[in-house]
Amino acid sequence: MAILQANRISKHFDGLVAVNKVSFVLNPGEILGLIGPNGAGKTTVVNMIAGVYPPTEGEIHFKGKPIHGLKPYRIGRMGIARTFQVVKPFPGMTVKENVAVGAMFGARGKRRSAKEAMEKAEEVLEFVGLADQKDRRADQLGVAFRKRLEMAKALAMSPDVVLFDEVMAGLNFGEIDQAVQMIQKIRHSGITILVIEHVMRAIKNLCDRVFVLHHGEKIADGPVEEVLNDENVIKAYLGKRFKELTH
Amino acid sequence: MKHNALRSFFICGLILIGMALFPLFTNNFIIRFGTDILMFAIMASAWNIIGGYTGYASFGNVVFFGIGAYTTAVLMEKAGFGFALAYASSGLLAAVFAILVGLPVLRLRGHYFAIATLGVAEAMKALVQNLEITEGNSGIYLPMLDMSVRGQYYFFFYMMLATLVACLLTTYILLNAKFGYSLIAIREDEDAANSVGINTTYAKTMAFSLSALFTGFAGSIYAYQQAFIKPEPAFTVHTTVKMIVMAVFGGMGKLFGPLLGAFSIEVISEILSDHFLVAHALFFGTIVILAIVFTPKGIMDIITERKLNVSYFLENIRKHRV
Repeated sequence: MAILQANRISKHFDGLVAVNKVSFVLNPGEILGLIGPNGAGKTTVVNMIAGVYPPTEGEIHFKGKPIHGLKPYRIGRMGIARTFQVVKPFPGMTVKENVAVGAMFGARGKRRSAKEAMEKAEEVLEFVGLADQKDRRADQLGVAFRKRLEMAKALAMSPDVVLFDEVMAGLNFGEIDQAVQMIQKIRHSGITILVIEHVMRAIKNLCDRVFVLHHGEKIADGPVEEVLNDENVIKAYLGKRFKELTH
Repeated sequence: MKHNALRSFFICGLILIGMALFPLFTNNFIIRFGTDILMFAIMASAWNIIGGYTGYASFGNVVFFGIGAYTTAVLMEKAGFGFALAYASSGLLAAVFAILVGLPVLRLRGHYFAIATLGVAEAMKALVQNLEITEGNSGIYLPMLDMSVRGQYYFFFYMMLATLVACLLTTYILLNAKFGYSLIAIREDEDAANSVGINTTYAKTMAFSLSALFTGFAGSIYAYQQAFIKPEPAFTVHTTVKMIVMAVFGGMGKLFGPLLGAFSIEVISEILSDHFLVAHALFFGTIVILAIVFTPKGIMDIITERKLNVSYFLENIRKHRV
């Protein structure tokens, strides 16, 4: 049974249809990729799942329960963690405190005291390789570390599902490979993952399955190789130049 | 770390004992001056909970002060309550009012929140000016405290001191609990706080209500001390400005910042008005501006960082220039 399921969800911003009747399933333990050109509606999908705004129509179910229309903090506590494309650390807090806040209020937050949350934070920082940065203020970190902190905050929430929204944008090749390894490690710890990514190198190495959005509509869904060779997908990415290239 | 905590605890204890003993060795005028400082220290520290830690700059906190003052006046004068009961009711009513007002107003952020709270305070003043039970603009008398003159000075001083200690202690306990982290997370990034599982509406409203509770207590003691209150001084926007200036001057988001701010601002303005009858407001304004430019994090920052040199000031100017 699917752990997360979206059923024909749409999002209209006044007249603009950002996402149009998109359905997908996320199976337990898999890494599902979500790709598409800029403005395709990828982040809008993440925001609908995370409860930033409710879908205009359609339903989202998590572990069989409807979650569309719930507030972000309720969804976070149920076990869905997300990262932000434009990272959102708590700038004035230390790295450790940032992560501890995730542990305090996430899925197992109710059962953790502030002190236990600090211990959990240490554990997560060790896991993502930020342990030696733990006492620095979050706003003093470089891009790669900030992205990793964003992942650490999400992991500290003890989620069942993580939505990674472009955690590799702005990283160099070496850092991308590290991030890919990290996400694989996260999957092995039993967490189901949805990655939104532009970096094809990462998508190819990570995803079991991928689906493609274009102008808010789903145009392909399937194994990575198959989807990336799909004519519609190539067209969506290359636009008019597709003709020139095929001739 | 442990050693440090012990030392801070020791220093706090010494300061507290000093504050508690000081009225015994001085005259009534100074005690009264100390009582005023404590009153503003309560209000600035209470403002610090919502403005400093949660990051919601309330420009209407005087409304809780006024509600506290008027609750005490009405309950004691019209309903024949004793002071203890009136005091407790004043804080609680202010806190409940903060919840009711906070639910809609705390949906606004930044400047919009500031303006809305300003409006709430002004609206409340107009209401009090026109209600029969508050006796409108003519003001309302309270029963006098039945004590010797010296005893009265002691009573109000120690009431303020006890309320301040309760306020700071509550803040300290909350800061080390999960609730404190949720407030700071909201200040640092509210959307991220929400997505990480923090019920931001609840946390903000509780912070606002707590801020109101202690401000209401201060208003209650003030009313009993004055024995006569009117809407204009009880709800004046000056009081709000003063608490914000004190909190910022001392150090926003620092436990003892507002207390230090209240003390220094009151002392500075007292000295200035002693020496410069006409232009003291001008000098006072200049000092506040200089302080904000050179130490935007407040004097608490200078003390804790132990940096009092040119490079510290220059760094501040660079960091915070517009």
